[in-house]
Amino acid sequence: MAENIETASYDALVIGAGIAGGEAALNLANNGFKVLLVEKDLSIGGKMILLSKVFPTLDCSACITTPKVSEISRHPGIKIFTGTEVKKIQKKSENNFEAIVVKAPRYVIEEDCTGCQLCEQACPVVVRDQYQYNLVGRKAAFIPFSIASPRVAAIDIENCTLCGACEKVCPTKCIDFTMEAVEHHVNIGTVIVATGFRLFDPLKIPRYGYGLYKNVLTSMEMERQLAPTRPFNTVLRPGDGKVPDKLAYVLCTGSRDATVGNPICSQICCMYSIKQAQLLMGALPMADVTIYYLNIRSFGKGFEEFYEQAKGMGVNFVKGKIGKITEKENGNLILRYEDINESVVKESEHDMVILSVGVMPNPDAGGFFGEGELKLDPFSFVHQTDLLGSPPETSIRGVFVAGTASGPMDIPDSILSAGAASSEAISYLNRKQ
Amino acid sequence: MNKKSARILVFSTEKISDPAIDMAGLLKLHYPPTVYTISVPCSSGIKPRWILHAYEKGFDGVFIAADGSDCTYGESCTEKTGHVVGVTHQMMKDKNIDPARLRMAAICSVCSESFVKQIRSFNQYLLESTKS
Amino acid sequence: MNKKLGVYICHCGGNISDYVDVEKVREAVRDEEGVCLAKTTMFACSDASQKEMIEDIRQNNLDGMVVASCSPKLHLVTFRAVSERAELNKYNYVHANIREQVSWAHSDDKAGATEKAIGIVKSAIAKVRLAEALNPIKIHSEKAVAVIGGGVAGLRAAIELSNMGSPVTLIEREHFVGGRVSQWDVMFTTNQTGKELVTRLYNDLISRDNVTLLTGAEVISNTGSIGDFTLKVKITPRYIRARCDEGYLQKAIDVCPVVVPDEFNFNITNRKAIYHNFPSEYPQYPVIDIKNCTRCGECEKVCGIIDFSQKEEIVEIRVGSVLMATGFDPYTPYPGEFGYHQFEEVITLPQFKRLTELNYKKLIYKGKEIKNIAYIYCVGSRQIEGEVHTVASADDLSKDTGSNQIEGENRYCSRYCCTSVIHTSIDAKRKFGNISNFHFTRGIRTYGKQELLYAESLRLGDIYLQSYENDPPLVYRENGRTHVKINDILTGRREISVTADLVVLVTGMVPRADNSVATLFKLPKGRDNFFNEIHMKLRPVETVIDGITICGACQGPKNITESMNSALSAATKTFSYVSKGEIELEPIIAEVDKELCKWCGECQKACPFDAVKMETSEGKEIAVINNSVCKGCGMCLPVCPVNAIDLIAFSDNEIESMINALVS
Repeated sequence: MAENIETASYDALVIGAGIAGGEAALNLANNGFKVLLVEKDLSIGGKMILLSKVFPTLDCSACITTPKVSEISRHPGIKIFTGTEVKKIQKKSENNFEAIVVKAPRYVIEEDCTGCQLCEQACPVVVRDQYQYNLVGRKAAFIPFSIASPRVAAIDIENCTLCGACEKVCPTKCIDFTMEAVEHHVNIGTVIVATGFRLFDPLKIPRYGYGLYKNVLTSMEMERQLAPTRPFNTVLRPGDGKVPDKLAYVLCTGSRDATVGNPICSQICCMYSIKQAQLLMGALPMADVTIYYLNIRSFGKGFEEFYEQAKGMGVNFVKGKIGKITEKENGNLILRYEDINESVVKESEHDMVILSVGVMPNPDAGGFFGEGELKLDPFSFVHQTDLLGSPPETSIRGVFVAGTASGPMDIPDSILSAGAASSEAISYLNRKQ
Repeated sequence: MNKKSARILVFSTEKISDPAIDMAGLLKLHYPPTVYTISVPCSSGIKPRWILHAYEKGFDGVFIAADGSDCTYGESCTEKTGHVVGVTHQMMKDKNIDPARLRMAAICSVCSESFVKQIRSFNQYLLESTKS
Repeated sequence: MNKKLGVYICHCGGNISDYVDVEKVREAVRDEEGVCLAKTTMFACSDASQKEMIEDIRQNNLDGMVVASCSPKLHLVTFRAVSERAELNKYNYVHANIREQVSWAHSDDKAGATEKAIGIVKSAIAKVRLAEALNPIKIHSEKAVAVIGGGVAGLRAAIELSNMGSPVTLIEREHFVGGRVSQWDVMFTTNQTGKELVTRLYNDLISRDNVTLLTGAEVISNTGSIGDFTLKVKITPRYIRARCDEGYLQKAIDVCPVVVPDEFNFNITNRKAIYHNFPSEYPQYPVIDIKNCTRCGECEKVCGIIDFSQKEEIVEIRVGSVLMATGFDPYTPYPGEFGYHQFEEVITLPQFKRLTELNYKKLIYKGKEIKNIAYIYCVGSRQIEGEVHTVASADDLSKDTGSNQIEGENRYCSRYCCTSVIHTSIDAKRKFGNISNFHFTRGIRTYGKQELLYAESLRLGDIYLQSYENDPPLVYRENGRTHVKINDILTGRREISVTADLVVLVTGMVPRADNSVATLFKLPKGRDNFFNEIHMKLRPVETVIDGITICGACQGPKNITESMNSALSAATKTFSYVSKGEIELEPIIAEVDKELCKWCGECQKACPFDAVKMETSEGKEIAVINNSVCKGCGMCLPVCPVNAIDLIAFSDNEIESMINALVS
């Protein structure tokens, strides 16, 4: 384990560098506070930077995220650790927390890497690319994705064969296999938990056939197929590379479903599915897109109008509950569903099915503090102790929650929640004297 | 004139009509590639001499994508932009330039389709008028 | 004057290079005058590219830079910051848009797109050649802030600003703070009451030295701009001197002969012209409603602290930033819309919420005990094109429409109402027992954790029916009773009719009917008439008017948690405008050529911001621009008869050389 221990102090520790954590860190830094922003992943930007476009403005997500990401990464008041996990946080007294964070070795000296990708070309190992949601492969020496920040290489040591090809071609000699984990002991005045969410794992609903039928995808996999940094440059069926022309969305996959342990609504799936449907109508003008739903929840600013726009474009909305999906020999899929309007069970054939997977809690958040100190709600999201008066407050004074760590929400709500958390954090820090 | 498309200079505005022209691109609404845009803060601040300069240098037409009632600098924008066009039209007549080679339309920040429609019809006009 | 320029042409990972031959563009511009470096790059905005640009600028001592990439709306700021980090003045950076306005717009014509890209990059080069280094205009900023609206969002924002160390003036139009929330009893999802929340916020607020609370106060004028707004506030007196002995006060209320509908209870009860809203509203001083008061003087006879000599007062305050939290109005149905004002059993959700609070043990309305309640959802929300409502009586006709059909224009969903009505209906069942709830919905939207309330309501046996937008339920009278009829899509479009003792119209949120305060600040509104933020996704509390932030339901429908988050966010943003005591403004402003100017006053007439003054300089009258007021719109340019005014960065020279470059 790490023998290298470094110590430092900051005003605030922000855990998670997605859009909520990033916004909170920026607000704090812009008001003159020193922030340590810790991200488990190799790049900051969270899930938003990987999305195609955002509803209901249809702004390119990468395009509006990257300016924010660069602002965060070059802010003199923000220190960023990527590839870093929080091991433990202890509250010593008010405004005095001690955190132990562990920075895993990247095996690349970040400061020296130019992102030239020569190592990537030289590396002989191909594995699934998690940043493209496994749709394509990547190398073991790799840059996470084209707009990653920092845009520097990393070595996936689990899959690396230690052949040394990358070391030989690296023009700046920045690859270093002797790197070790470094443990940082930091003193901080306040903590913002912005650990985000996980996507529902559709393997938990075997009757939908995810993992078994190749043309059943998750919405995040479709998101990658539609993104500007997309792997195929068009939309393809993973089964046979055919361009699909009859697509189906299954809403509430893993949400509002007590049988999978998640009775709550995920708040974003209706809208992102409607958005994807609109993008698909643009990308594949001949395709039919059907959305199977229980209730369409287009409740935010401009959302209802966006839903109406999708209907106007010809997206087909069917109020129906999916029972089972089966695969035909040609890879097409048969959806068996209850048509609620007609109260009959029907079947329909589609050549691609997208499961609109829900928002699940990130279990990391509960583990940072001592047993039970940071209370979670019945769904394992971070519990908000003063929901109506001070939504960012948690069960620990001086620890605030931002974004989807406290429950499902969309991007503007995450930004507002992050703004609120940073506001409370500033007040908490100011109260010190 | 043996051109497929006319050379058009568009004066757009940074906050209102330029976003609409951007969105026309985003939506892949095509228009002739001989249409060039210069963006200014507000359409009521365009000087007639800039427009005349464009004709001198060989532009077939000038299109003012005006802020209209959405102008962030105030309601007087529409009237003032109209005045600029009026004054320029007079100067064009004096110089024997067909006043129809200057057009103006209010383009709101989401008026992409209307922009493309306007430009296509303007292009059509310019091609036909220069042919004869 | 021979500038050394660097030019970068972005592939945008194919977004540009799939349609524009970026290499050809590079070749076409690399020999332009002044260009000493021309490169293509995969992602100009990536950190690695930015680093490379900084090194290039430093190593080659560049005096100007052009990046040809996406729209300047996305990355102008990014690359200006790059030049600044390389100690190159950011106004020596010029952005060329070859994605939205070239590669994407002309994806059907690659040769044409490439030609156009060359022209655009050349014109950017022409502009950067003439660009001047500029420094931001620094102006003093008042550290104080005004919060307009004393509902829970405004109260919360004011508290937070006070915490951060900024003096705050909270301006509330009514005589009491708390806004809509003070009218609510138990609220989802915590079952706290509105009263509790308002009491807590109010007590916190008034304990602070740096907060001034003005009630009965309305902003009547605004001058100035970010850093230095001067607001005139009109304060209507309460006509009551101080806290009154409650016994005498009650006597005064009793003797008052004026009876008017009580707006606090959404007109389901009446009040006198002298009134209070104890214990819900703060400050807890009674008020005389001077508009309805007949000055009969009866109250004065029994209560000594009444003082009709109090005068309206105008105060002036100076602040660096203004935070708007003006809230919403509940939608008011037209007479006849779902039987409203037509059948007496039909009320709105806010009225129902007041009714459940005011009743004990039994739910009584108009003397009758209520058992069966029908709730009609989405009244005034999610209205579809062509959805018309017949106005019940000819007297209610709107004169402009000239017909008795009114078309609803609220396309948006009001977000809070599904959860609110389900919560209230559960509460009614708990409080009064023996109640049957029938929900006539358009699809339930209890998003997020609020879903649990819906599940609970189903468990309690509430009946849910659903119709489509174009086939709304019908409220009608038959055999002396009121019924609601629906073609229920949950049961295969069966026609179902329910006899209701009370019909609750689940009305949504609409923008404040009197939003005149927004006009004073020139705040833009969206399609739905709520105030518009600068960017829906990433900048939800800022507005295009520098120094003005918005929060709570004035920006769009929100529940309390969401309003609180936006209030706290807006407080942080507003604080960042005033915290440093200084604000930097764009130096793109108009400039008068003293030699040419012969003062005629045309520019002063054209300026919408009153930024032009006549001054005498060296014995000559000339126009002078006020730097901190000029917004750089350029309206003064074309009106000058001697062409003496230029806009910095848009000078004749710059524009004409750009035109030359486009046709070269």
